[in-house]
Amino acid sequence: SEIDVEATGADQAVGFGLVGFSLSLFTYYTIWVIVLPFVDSDHVIHSYFLPREYSVILPGVAALILLLFVGTFIGVVTWKNRKPKKVD
Amino acid sequence: MTLKTYTACSMMLLGISRHQSGFFNYNFALYLCTVFSTMTKLLEWLLGASLIGMAWGLVTFDLLDLQLPPQYRELAWPMPVYLLVVFGCYSLATVGYRVATFNDCEDAAKELQAQIKEAKEDLKKKGLKM
Repeated sequence: SEIDVEATGADQAVGFGLVGFSLSLFTYYTIWVIVLPFVDSDHVIHSYFLPREYSVILPGVAALILLLFVGTFIGVVTWKNRKPKKVD
Repeated sequence: MTLKTYTACSMMLLGISRHQSGFFNYNFALYLCTVFSTMTKLLEWLLGASLIGMAWGLVTFDLLDLQLPPQYRELAWPMPVYLLVVFGCYSLATVGYRVATFNDCEDAAKELQAQIKEAKEDLKKKGLKM
């Protein structure tokens, strides 16, 4: 018989941490991209955000870094398992 | 849109093009008939995506000289990246939430760990190095 218990503390912490992180990222990014163009350029809120170009550059750089990690991982595992004559 | 609707649209196009003179108009309408009546889900998505993409391109690069207010142009050009980031956030939040609310199953966990151990030993025997 299978006993269903509520998720353990670590799982809940990680899970809700992810939720909180994505909510904050979403809020900050939405204000940056969607709200700021309609706010006067001398309002104090602009000092909390980088220039607009970075709203495209930073995600692009993050995506590249992610691809780099994935590619490196695949490369390392493939390299470790290469056979001399043929690859199985 | 059903096959009937597509065919009806195509017949209309064909009628229109026949009244105008022109070899190209008729054949283009005929081509469109074929495309619309055999449209797969993939083609539908591609068509929708390219229409949205064209609308974005028109606004961002001001190809039609629409004289839109500067705030709307500022809003439009990061849109593709913004939609990607929002999609990423939504995926991350969904995964996180499902991890947090997934109930533990003691027996299944033990069984899974035993299977992982077995698989690792089996692969080590066959020579895979992690």
